[in-house]
Amino acid sequence: MKVSLNWIKDYVKLPDDMDLKKLAYDLTMSTVEVEDAEELAERFNGIVVGVIKEVLPHPNADKLRVCKTDIGGGEIKDIVCGGSNLEVGQKVAVALPGTFVKWHGEGEPVEIKVSKLRGVESYGMICASTEVGLEDLLPLGGDHEIMNLNAFECEAGDPIAKALSLDDVILEIDNKSMTNRPDLWGHYGIAREIATLYDLPLAEVPAFVPEVEGGIDVRVGDAERCRRFIGTKMEGLYVKESPFEMRTRLWRVGQRPINALVDVTNYVMMATGQPTHAYDSDHIVDFISARMAGEDEKLLLLSGEELELSTDDLVICDRTGPVGLAGVMGGAKDSILPETKDVILEVANFESRGIRRTTQRYDVRTEASSRYEKAVDPERCDLAFNMAMTLYKELYPEMKVVAYSDVYPTPIEKTEINVSLDWLERRLGQTFSNEYIENKLSRMGFGVTIDGDNLKVKVPSWRATGDISERADIMEEIARIYGYDNIQATKITTTFDAAINQLDYDLSRKIKEYLAFRCNMQEVFTYPWMTDKTVEAVLGTTENLLKLSTPPSPTEKFVKGSILPNICDAIVKNERFYSEFGIFEEAQIFQDRDYTSTYDEKEKIPYYTKSIGGAFAAVTSDVTALFRKAKGVIEMMPRYTHMEGFTFRRDVKPAWADNTVWLNIYVGEKLVGNMGLLAKKASMGCGIKNLSAVLFELDFYALVPFKSRTNTFAHLPEFPENNYDISLLFDLDTKWEKIYAEILKKAKSEKLIKRAAFVDEYKGKQVPEGKKSVTIRLVIGSDTKTLTSDEIEKVANTVIRCLEHTAGAQMRTK
Amino acid sequence: MKEKLEALLRDGIPRINGAKNEAELQEIKGSLLGKQGSVTLLMKEMSKLPAEERPAAGQLINKAKNELSELIDARREELKLKASEVSADFDWSVPGLPPMSGGLHPIIQMCYDLNDAFRSLGFEIFEATDISSEYYSFDNLNFPPNHPARESMDTYWIEGHDKGEAWEKLCLRPHLTGDSVRYLQSHKPPYRFVYPGRVYRNETTDARHERAFYQYEALIVDKDFTFTAGKVMIQTILSKVFGREVKIRMRSGFFPFVEPGYEIDMECLVCGGKGCSVCKQVGWIEVMPGGTPHPNVLRAAGLDPDEYTGFYVNIGLDRLVMMRYGVDDVRLFNSADLRFLEQFR
Repeated sequence: MKVSLNWIKDYVKLPDDMDLKKLAYDLTMSTVEVEDAEELAERFNGIVVGVIKEVLPHPNADKLRVCKTDIGGGEIKDIVCGGSNLEVGQKVAVALPGTFVKWHGEGEPVEIKVSKLRGVESYGMICASTEVGLEDLLPLGGDHEIMNLNAFECEAGDPIAKALSLDDVILEIDNKSMTNRPDLWGHYGIAREIATLYDLPLAEVPAFVPEVEGGIDVRVGDAERCRRFIGTKMEGLYVKESPFEMRTRLWRVGQRPINALVDVTNYVMMATGQPTHAYDSDHIVDFISARMAGEDEKLLLLSGEELELSTDDLVICDRTGPVGLAGVMGGAKDSILPETKDVILEVANFESRGIRRTTQRYDVRTEASSRYEKAVDPERCDLAFNMAMTLYKELYPEMKVVAYSDVYPTPIEKTEINVSLDWLERRLGQTFSNEYIENKLSRMGFGVTIDGDNLKVKVPSWRATGDISERADIMEEIARIYGYDNIQATKITTTFDAAINQLDYDLSRKIKEYLAFRCNMQEVFTYPWMTDKTVEAVLGTTENLLKLSTPPSPTEKFVKGSILPNICDAIVKNERFYSEFGIFEEAQIFQDRDYTSTYDEKEKIPYYTKSIGGAFAAVTSDVTALFRKAKGVIEMMPRYTHMEGFTFRRDVKPAWADNTVWLNIYVGEKLVGNMGLLAKKASMGCGIKNLSAVLFELDFYALVPFKSRTNTFAHLPEFPENNYDISLLFDLDTKWEKIYAEILKKAKSEKLIKRAAFVDEYKGKQVPEGKKSVTIRLVIGSDTKTLTSDEIEKVANTVIRCLEHTAGAQMRTK
Repeated sequence: MKEKLEALLRDGIPRINGAKNEAELQEIKGSLLGKQGSVTLLMKEMSKLPAEERPAAGQLINKAKNELSELIDARREELKLKASEVSADFDWSVPGLPPMSGGLHPIIQMCYDLNDAFRSLGFEIFEATDISSEYYSFDNLNFPPNHPARESMDTYWIEGHDKGEAWEKLCLRPHLTGDSVRYLQSHKPPYRFVYPGRVYRNETTDARHERAFYQYEALIVDKDFTFTAGKVMIQTILSKVFGREVKIRMRSGFFPFVEPGYEIDMECLVCGGKGCSVCKQVGWIEVMPGGTPHPNVLRAAGLDPDEYTGFYVNIGLDRLVMMRYGVDDVRLFNSADLRFLEQFR
């Protein structure tokens, strides 16, 4: 919202030496966010009044003239101009060289220079109102007309801002910062805040007493939706331009002046925050009514379009039907026309929620509706009525009020709040004198009585529509006016007995740090929804997936039900730039099943878990190696993050996995996750081109953190341990799991076998068909002596013989 | 003879000790003890001496020869120990091999920094679900029934759960504050906890607006807690996170769930408060809303607002991280683009 400081000065006398920066700052700190404070005159720097002394023909162009123009200081300059209304003696606006103007009112501003126009040098430019942004204030007379300033008292050389009395400061206030303050949506409300901040008197708006006997037939059909309606019929009005001061004020705050009849209503809204509406009395048949629209009722709009109304719309009607959407916009019938004589003024109060529903229904927002939406109080009608009628009387001294009715079925109740001063002090951590509290609250319009410890506050109507209802609100009023920044900071006094121990949080963090710092993976964030394409490719089904009612796009409707589709999307995104990488994400996933209540039995949240998923992606022909890399990450995770260990099984193949390369991950008997190679079909479906990807996902809530670190200590060997590698042939389908189990079994009886490890495997021409060669590293040693090489070999041979019996091992023949 | 020998030693010994490397030493050895070496030549000259002088001269020469040989060997040993295994043209400026490492998301890094700071002050870390009900997202928070945030234009509602009573309507949570009530309901006062998490708004995205963003909420609820104590807390935390004194200011602000409510601004770290493009020439950057939990919120949590009060802040991590690094497009955080994420390791 734009606020004119000059306008504010109507209601509160600001000292002449007022520091405007400080005013903007103080308002920001205590009341609303002032985004900008613009010196209006600066917008017109370099544009001065010129007086045309002579108009000469241009030697090279029929439509141009050369004007000898007095630009002040005794300087007469030649200015080339194409204006159709140039006259000797005329006062015009001259943009001096160096000034930026909008050429012909179009495009970006361009700099005016001393330059030749069709061969004649021109010193600056004589401007049209559109060229300096004044078209709303001084409308263009015709296509080629320049701005005529004869009506203004000014002299050659005067800055145009001075000539047009545009010395003002415009504050730009962030509307978001006052959604809770309907009282601030007009200059009077802002003035009240300023008066409070600086202890200045606030001018009262004089009451207007309509001296009339006859009432106007005002009907209120729904007292919930229309809480008050003041209808006033005036005669002896006519359409004319409103005075320059009124027009310029409207223009300064972003409103387009129209004619005096309409301008008054807009002026009053900008001043008080209360919308008002003027109807041509000839268009209103018999009575004026605010009621709910009926079935199949329509409203004819100015555009000629017909709006099909809802029975939830409050409409303004006469005997013949709807003339406007109450508080939102008028229809074709309610407009002020050039021949309008008698006017019915509506000053009414409409309920905020209803207004909001109507604006949403038709997707229209007007200055009026956006104010009603904030919940304007019905008492404010008085202020607006007084101001509007005073203005009409001023502009049309011959005007007569012929009928007046104020329908106000249920006057609002006055809110009273009791606040303990002791409580106030304890909460704010600072003492305020009774005088301070009384002074500030009274200036804001509160009725204040202090009796001992009790502060009794009567809330003014303009703050009583939801803004202020209990003592915390009063505390806020005092604190914000004093300035939060000015209140002395005090130390936090809360103490806690127990140390914080959160195993779940720690485990999640350890896993992420493990993946990032030990496993060379990058954490990513993705959205909580998935694209149809990857859902289809990776999950292969939409069963159990939740959907958004208003998704970000039609193809992103599914709520993340697995972490892997978005991981695959991330692989696609990065494929252009990387041929090898690892990524992971931790996020909540949801499914449309197993609804549970955790906090309130009425609230049922769908199945969810926290999922940690990731991928190793590489352009490689050796997917086995890629799989082993990922498997190593999973295998070592429990050890490095201190949780219950994993075992691997092959029970149910994940939908997205390659037929051969996959594993189920277990903690004890509980399935906690899966890993595997992304199947070719799924990979192509996602749009992955050359990368192979091994994916994993873990159900975080199924992981079991240990309460403390779990590393174990073993004594260092007293006698040397020896590495002894053996290479044996096995059938291709013999698994290492089997071989390793047999060695461990053997180690139970043969204590000299300390450990065994997989070294590598070989398949190919060097070994017989149907066989593979597996190299195993045995660690052989004794706790009591140094073994001889014969003894070591003997142990190795027992292992070989054991594997020959139990796992079908064969020695490699040379 | 004797003089010649002495002159030879006087000249030879410093040369040996001054040899800079093996090759030079070998050359010196040759020039002294080689076939044409000066000592060898002296030996040859001995034949010209009278027979009776020869034994003594021979002894002298042999002694000198041994002395030189020993010196040369000693010098060789010394040079060997001093010598590098690598030739002198070794290029030390070739970059080192970087350790293999991935990284955490820059927002998570900030979140962990804050967690560490808050935990050091005795705060617990809380977590709830991304899907919440209207009941917890709005009703408990004192949002009036007609608040725009409840509309589908602003919140992502779940299909099939977007009608009915407030607790039946489910959405992707639009903010964390509602879930704070969950904590209050399920724990005993006094409370001191933080609540990091992602929230979702149905918005059009651009460089400054996102549909998913990370919030970080901190809440203290206790008896007779002055709200300015919160100011100390915020200052402490921000200074800890940014590693230097951070100036903050608190100004009036409105949020349904707090009373009083305020906006907390932080002095722009880019320009130091002078005004720049990052802070839109203001010198201050809005970093978080804060306030005292509204009595209705405390009531929703089953607490007596006459007895309890507190302090609340909600930090937008995206904006804080953008400021930390000068990131100019908020959408990069959810892009999963490694070229971006790798910069924050």
